[in-house]
Amino acid sequence: MIEFRDVWKTFKNVDAVRGVSCTIEDKEVFGLLGPNGAGKTTLIMTMATVYRPTKGEVVVDGHSTSTEPDRVKELLGISFQDPKYDRVLSAREILQWHGKVTGVEKGVREKRIDEVLEKFGLTHEAKKRTWMLSGGTKKKIENAKVFVQRPRVAVFDEPTAYLDVPSRLMVWDMIDGLRDEGSTVVLATNMMDEADRMSARVGIMSRGEMVQVGTPSALKGTLKGRDIIEMKLEVPIPELPGEVSKVEEVNDAHYEGQVLKVVLSNGRELLPHMINVVTAKGGKVQSVNLKEPSLEDVFLHYTGTSLS
Amino acid sequence: MSEGTKPPSPLYVLWILIERDLRTLVKSPWIVINRTLFFLIQLFVFAALVSQLATSLGFNYFDFYSVGAVVSTITSIAFIIGEDLFEEEEMGLLDYLLSLPFGHSLFVLGRALGGAVRGLIYVAPMMLLVAYLDGYSSPAGVLVSYAILFVLATGISGLSITLAMLIRNANRFDIMIALAELATVRVSAAIYPIYFMPQVIQPVAAYSPVTSASDLVRAIVLGTSAGVQETVVLILFVAIFFGLGSAFLFRKIEGGRFE
Repeated sequence: MIEFRDVWKTFKNVDAVRGVSCTIEDKEVFGLLGPNGAGKTTLIMTMATVYRPTKGEVVVDGHSTSTEPDRVKELLGISFQDPKYDRVLSAREILQWHGKVTGVEKGVREKRIDEVLEKFGLTHEAKKRTWMLSGGTKKKIENAKVFVQRPRVAVFDEPTAYLDVPSRLMVWDMIDGLRDEGSTVVLATNMMDEADRMSARVGIMSRGEMVQVGTPSALKGTLKGRDIIEMKLEVPIPELPGEVSKVEEVNDAHYEGQVLKVVLSNGRELLPHMINVVTAKGGKVQSVNLKEPSLEDVFLHYTGTSLS
Repeated sequence: MSEGTKPPSPLYVLWILIERDLRTLVKSPWIVINRTLFFLIQLFVFAALVSQLATSLGFNYFDFYSVGAVVSTITSIAFIIGEDLFEEEEMGLLDYLLSLPFGHSLFVLGRALGGAVRGLIYVAPMMLLVAYLDGYSSPAGVLVSYAILFVLATGISGLSITLAMLIRNANRFDIMIALAELATVRVSAAIYPIYFMPQVIQPVAAYSPVTSASDLVRAIVLGTSAGVQETVVLILFVAIFFGLGSAFLFRKIEGGRFE
């Protein structure tokens, strides 16, 4: 378990992290969302003992990063946003060195390196100096360090940036594999689909603060009254907006061309009822579309900032 | 830790850190080639020619210079560690290294020793060549010479780390490293005797660690005199700059950067 207890990190006069308190459970994939400068990386660096908290405490598996940093570092493996390794070295040399320094035994290390290189399709490029490789390949090598290490707490900062779709799916699959083997995963990302698909819970950071924590569906559920049902009618009936507005959960109903747009709470549950109301008044529904709040809407709501 | 994983011992970590510095040096052969060529040309062209001029004064300059050339070369190699650290800090690689499972103090020690070890490995054949050219053949003496060179290189690594941690601007750092290298080598008895220097420089040069290392190695290889003062200066230099390098690196680490 990872506990952030009122963590502050101040650089000169700038509070990069401001009073963050939250808990990440064992074997959980925890998504950390926030725009650049929100404090995600600083929070990760504080957890990784690279930075000491100005105030508060981070405790990883019962070990404080302030009083037992070396013990904490034994539990952690980080894949950084920008690949961080010696670019004069080859992928295999980088993974071998990382495996050695994180204590992966030789036989296990070589086996894991071969496996990971093969999964990423890097076997034939394993001996090339990494500065010669593409951005996507460099990113794969950065991720590969953690997959070779298989730490108790794996931290991925934007793990699929620069990657093509098959590689993204592969990384997601491998992160799932890490979790299944018992690792706790912290996933810092700007990609909503990634956070939504991968995370059991999500923490939203803005201006150094953790503004909301919860499961993606629970967070979406906090945006009550923002579901939208769009019904395309064969012929628009003028009294329909007034009729559907009588339903308690409906906040607004109006036409956009032939489409009756209903803004309401619990859209998924009320969808059949809405269709019944329309058909009862003689409306002929050609098509129906339900829009529920996305994680990006949640983010926008709580931070007032778009991720992109 | 996962299955098949156990925390590495501090000694093993130290070795891995040193190995990394050796590996990156080997992967940048132009540095090795450049400095080897410089050493050989200086020895066989510059020193051989100047030696002929100096012979009339009853002074064997070639022997004097050959030892100094090894000392100045290891000084030059040891300075590279600061350049490496500066680059690592700029590229964010330092964050990665500091997140790895070893203490910050071990990291500082590993880097200073890494700088010294790669300097020593690099000049080891040069030292043998010089011993051969100067007619010195005691293996024990050569080993003691290596030890002196290693101690000097550790102190120079500390000085270089100190500069890397103090200066933020890349251009300023390049200039300062070049000046520091120039000052430590030129204001010393590595390549010319102190008594030929301007009088104002002589007291400074006398207490230079490069002078001390040069004089101590010459005492072994050439049988000249050197002793307590040189040893004390060398040890003090290492203690001060290793300590300073560590302190500044710690300060940098703990100061962090804003995201």
